[in-house]
This record gives sequence, C-alpha cells and structure tokens, in this order.
Amino acid sequence: MYLRLDAAIDGTLSGVIDDTESSARAIIQSIRRLHDSASTLASYLDGTNLQAGDIGKEIAHSVAFLSDIANFIERLPAKMEQNLESVQAVVAEIKALSEMTTDVKAISLQSHLLGINAAIEASRAGTAGTAFKVVADEMRKLAGSSSTMALKINTGLARAQQIVESGLQSTITESSQQLADVSKVAASIHQLRDSFEDMSQYYKTRFAIVIKHNEDLVREIAEALGQIQYQDVVRQCIERIRIAVGRRNEALRAGWGEDPAACAALPEQLELVLDEYLAEEGNHRHSVRQTPDDGASRKIELF
Amino acid sequence: MAKTIMIVDDSSTMLMSLRNSLEIAGFKVLEANDGMVALKNLQGGAKPDLIITDINMPNMGGIEFIGKARALPGLRFIPILALTTESQQGKRDEAKKLGATGWLLKPVSGTDLNKIIKQVLPGA
Repeated sequence: MYLRLDAAIDGTLSGVIDDTESSARAIIQSIRRLHDSASTLASYLDGTNLQAGDIGKEIAHSVAFLSDIANFIERLPAKMEQNLESVQAVVAEIKALSEMTTDVKAISLQSHLLGINAAIEASRAGTAGTAFKVVADEMRKLAGSSSTMALKINTGLARAQQIVESGLQSTITESSQQLADVSKVAASIHQLRDSFEDMSQYYKTRFAIVIKHNEDLVREIAEALGQIQYQDVVRQCIERIRIAVGRRNEALRAGWGEDPAACAALPEQLELVLDEYLAEEGNHRHSVRQTPDDGASRKIELF
Repeated sequence: MAKTIMIVDDSSTMLMSLRNSLEIAGFKVLEANDGMVALKNLQGGAKPDLIITDINMPNMGGIEFIGKARALPGLRFIPILALTTESQQGKRDEAKKLGATGWLLKPVSGTDLNKIIKQVLPGA
C-alpha cells in the first residue's frame, strides 16, 4: 500500500521539479525584461542628461552674458557720478573764468584812465605831443574795446554756467530714478543667475539619484538571477531523495518476498540505504544554507 | 571586444540564469547541457575565453570534461571554473589536479560571479 503512496509522492515530486523549473525560467525571463527596461531607462536618462547638459551650457552662456551686463549696469552709477563730478568741475572753471573778466574790466578801466592822462599830457606838450596823443587815443579805444569784450565774455560765461547748471540739476534728478531702476535690473539679473545655478544643481542631483537607483536595480537583478539557481539545488536535493526512496523500495520488495534470508537482511539493507543517502547528501552543499567552516564548504575557492 | 564564456550544465534553469547574468555583464555566451556536448563544441572550433561547468551531469560529468578539455590544443591555459553543489574535498582535489581554476558552490550571485570572472579573466 505504501509503495503506491511512494509512487504517488514520487509523481508529485517530479511534478514539483517541472513546475519549479518552469516557474524559475519564467522568473528569469521577467527579470531579463526588467533589466532590459532598466537599460532602456538608463539610456533614455543618459540621452536626456546629455541634452540637458547642452541646454545648460547655452543657458549658462546667456547667464554669463547677462551677468556681464549686470556688472556693467552696476558700475554705471559710479561712472555717472564721475561724469557729474567732471561737469561740476567745468562749472567751477566757468565761475573762475567769470571772475577773471572782472579783473580784465578793472585793467581796461585803468588803461582808459591812463589813456586820458596820457592825452592830457600830450595836449600840454603841444606839437611835440601830437604823436603821443594819437597813441593815447588808441589806448583809450583799446581799453573801451577790452571792457566791452570782457562784458560779452562775462555774459557768455554766465549763460553757459546757467545752461550747464540747469542741465546738471536735471541730470541729477533723472539719474536718481534711473539709478534706482538700474539697481533693480542688476539685482534681477543676479537673481536669475542664482536661480539658474540652483535649478542646474537640483537637476544634477536628481539625475545622480535616478542613475544610482538604476545601478542598484541592475545589481539587484544580477543578484536575483543568482538566487534563482537555488531551484537547481532543490531539484538535485529532490532527485537524491527519489533515488534513496527507490533504493529503499527495492530493499523492501526483496525483504518482503519468499526468501527468508532476504527478509532477515532487510533491516541491514534499509540501514545501508540510509547510510548511502546520508553520505550522498553530505557530499552536496550549497552556498545558501549555513555550512560548517571546513575546506569543502567554501563558497568560492580559487586554486 | 566582448569575451566569450562557455557554460555547461544539465539544468535549464542554471543555463538560463547564467546566460542572462553573463549577457547583462557584457559577455557572449555558449551553452552545452553536459560535458560531452561541450567537448564536441570545443573540438568543433568553439573558442571560449572561460568555461564554467557543473560537476554532476549525465553522459559526461564535469571532472571528466575538465580533464579532456585541458588536453585539447589551445585550451591549456583557459580558465575553467566548477559551479556545483558537490562538496567532496576529493572531487575538488581531483578537479584541481586536472586543471580546474576554481570551485564555486551553487547558487552564485551575480556580484560574486562577476568578481570571480574579473579575477580569472584579466581585462573582462
């Protein structure tokens, strides 16, 4: 009766081997597809990373250009201040020139008085002073012309000073607003550059994380492919059990027969089958189960 | 150029697992389901850079295969690894004597396998 049971169990074990083998093969195929998908994803990410790198370079180039503009804009207030100082220096020079015309007028007046005195002295000299009187008259005319010219220069300088001062005031008023706007533009450009650098760093970090996960996935896939080999270990284990059960059944058949000697030897035969099974089992180890730390149990040994 | 590895095992699960592990690692793979088929392939001109063989197989086991493969011209220095559940020290010693390069217990993880291959196959 229990030989039939053994046969039924043997059939089941055979089916288990076939089923686990089919299942293991299906798992390997799934794992391979998973790996192929991971590889496709990695290639896609790699391509995207390269494209992002190119776009990043273009943006970085534009941002660098904008930064140059921002730096130029930032220097503008100082430059404008410098220009204003130059204009103020011109105004100061005009004022100084204007003061000089007063001196010229004083000199003209003195020259005129000198001319009158010379003319009086020439008249007193009579005929001998005629020529000198001509010189004295010319001198008075020259003094008059100098005075007129000094007046004109003074008027012109006053007008120039007024124009420059008026323009200067207008420039100062307008500049303060423009400088405020310019500062905002420069700040915006710097903010744009900082934002780009933040974004660029963020995406680099994200890419690195995704690529790291992908590498972990590939490593785990390789590990899974190794672990699936355990099906073969189990198959061999079941095969050894089946062989041992077959031998035991042969011993039983012989022991239960007509031969009294065979019947008497049955316990010994069964003990022999057990010893052979245990010895065979002892000759097979695998790297998953904990094994004693002897030479024969080393998972990997290079000669 | 990708290195070629011959795998010899009577288990279709083992062949499939090893093939996929090795292909993922960038190797070309040749398969044989026992020592006799593997030997015929080698005699027919197959030129693997490394052989990974099971020990307990029908028709021709791994130990006999290692000995006969080593005797073939051009195969004297090609690394041969045994991958098995067999753990008798006597069989390890015999395999070593016949020219096996190393002994690995099943199952072997992808990481361990690649590490060993790098050790025995320079440039892999």
